[in-house]
Amino acid sequence: MSRVVRNQRTSAAAVVKKGAEPRGPRTPIRARLAAWREQHLYSFFSSLGRLVARPWATVLTVLVLGFALALPLLFWLVFDNARELSGGLREAREVTVFLKPGADTRTASLLASDLRKRSDVADVLIRTPEQGLAEFRELSGFGEALDALQTNPLPSVLVVTPRESLDTDNPPLVGELKADTRVDLVQYDAAWRRKLSGILRFSERVVAVVAALLALATLLVIGNTVRMDIQARSTEISVMQTIGASNGFVRRPFLYAGLWYGLLGSAFALLIVAAVELALAEPIGRLLDSYAHRFALRGIHVAAALVVVGASALLGWLGAYVVTARHLAAGRPR
Amino acid sequence: MIRFENVSKRYLTGLDALAEVSFEVDAGEMVFVTGHSGAGKSTLLKLISLTERPSRGQITVNHADLARVRRRGIPQLRRGIGMVFQDHRLLTDRSVFDNVALPLLIAGTSRSETAKRVRAALDKVGLLAREKASPLTLSTGEQQRVGIARAIVAKPPLIIADEPTGNLDPQLSVEIMALFAEFGAVGTTVLIASHDLFLLKRMNKRVLVLDHGRLVDDFRPQAAGT
Repeated sequence: MSRVVRNQRTSAAAVVKKGAEPRGPRTPIRARLAAWREQHLYSFFSSLGRLVARPWATVLTVLVLGFALALPLLFWLVFDNARELSGGLREAREVTVFLKPGADTRTASLLASDLRKRSDVADVLIRTPEQGLAEFRELSGFGEALDALQTNPLPSVLVVTPRESLDTDNPPLVGELKADTRVDLVQYDAAWRRKLSGILRFSERVVAVVAALLALATLLVIGNTVRMDIQARSTEISVMQTIGASNGFVRRPFLYAGLWYGLLGSAFALLIVAAVELALAEPIGRLLDSYAHRFALRGIHVAAALVVVGASALLGWLGAYVVTARHLAAGRPR
Repeated sequence: MIRFENVSKRYLTGLDALAEVSFEVDAGEMVFVTGHSGAGKSTLLKLISLTERPSRGQITVNHADLARVRRRGIPQLRRGIGMVFQDHRLLTDRSVFDNVALPLLIAGTSRSETAKRVRAALDKVGLLAREKASPLTLSTGEQQRVGIARAIVAKPPLIIADEPTGNLDPQLSVEIMALFAEFGAVGTTVLIASHDLFLLKRMNKRVLVLDHGRLVDDFRPQAAGT
């Protein structure tokens, strides 16, 4: 079965090749495919062998590439987590109403029941000063300092949940609450949230720009490494060209070398990122615990890691391609 | 096999390396090109392998009009020419075997076929036992023989050699030349640039003499018959 399929594929390839090359293939297509495979295998292993033959140079290049690639990755991780964190905040649409310090519990419940009657209010929660103090004591850790206070300085607080998200700048509900004489302060987070998303958009752009710059650096590092490699092997290249090596043949080992650099560099970058994650996981975990937030630090995703590896390999290949193209163009007499 | 028609080559520096050179070499012929240094021997060989293009005139090699060979076609043309250099130009980071195998690798010959042909070529130059050695551990004469094995391994119809015995003592030179003569005997065209007059006389083959870029003599040992 598989033999039949392969035969069909080979003959299809033969037809295509015939159309593309009017002179007609001199050798049977099967032999040419075998030759092609042979040459790629050769380039694949010989380029790897060359990297292994000069371990220090290779390791240094891979380290440079690794750090260059790790930086934007880490930026991106921070950004990704910040976005995730802000996601919860962005959905929070409560309006927090601080009543005047003098207002007692009755005033609070009166205002609450007034608010509940409104059509644009879904729910109102009352937090008495006592509840507020208990919560503050628990979260802030200033328990003893609070014990020293004679009176409770906290006001009554109403947490109003609007029926719909209030995306406008000054929704009537907020305006009316502000105007109420019993109310001291209305905290409505629209402006703050807008600032936050502005910051996020900005940092997204920063990540993109830094990533682009460092991708360029990767391209240059690989290109330069391959260029030095080419210079070191220029005799070999000229010998190969003299005895009939095509540009493709000469170029192939360098392209594979670029590919290897990209692959190894990105693998090292991912290692750095993993190490940083590991080093920061514990303190960040504690920090998040203390904020009692349902939020877990997000590491780099497998798919993202694969994209990074693929992109970096592609960059390596490209860098090598550009450099070899330049060299081959310069090395040819017309 | 090779035909030059009024070929001239002027380098960008203004040097006229070849002027109005015309000659013809038949398939299976063994021909020497001689002349003092700077007479144009190397240029002539470079024109054949398309390392340089002529300023004027027409060159045909192996039925191919070189003026029509585009840049992409150059490698294909060179695969039909076995080239031997004075400094043999072996790759020192590879074994003798790998050096000789290079043209086959380029041509995309299968591995088993490559091994067979490399050993046959090494056998022909008497170095079969040294296939795993590094070229650096060989003597100059042996290195040149490896270079020759590399030139013949792909069985090209034409072999060109630029001063192949330039670095060798007379005894080795004769041996190397005898090798070339063998290839000529089996139908391969051989063109050798050399200024070793003693050797030319001894080989008793056709000789093209260049002087300041002009072909001043074309003598054959047996003047009778063309």
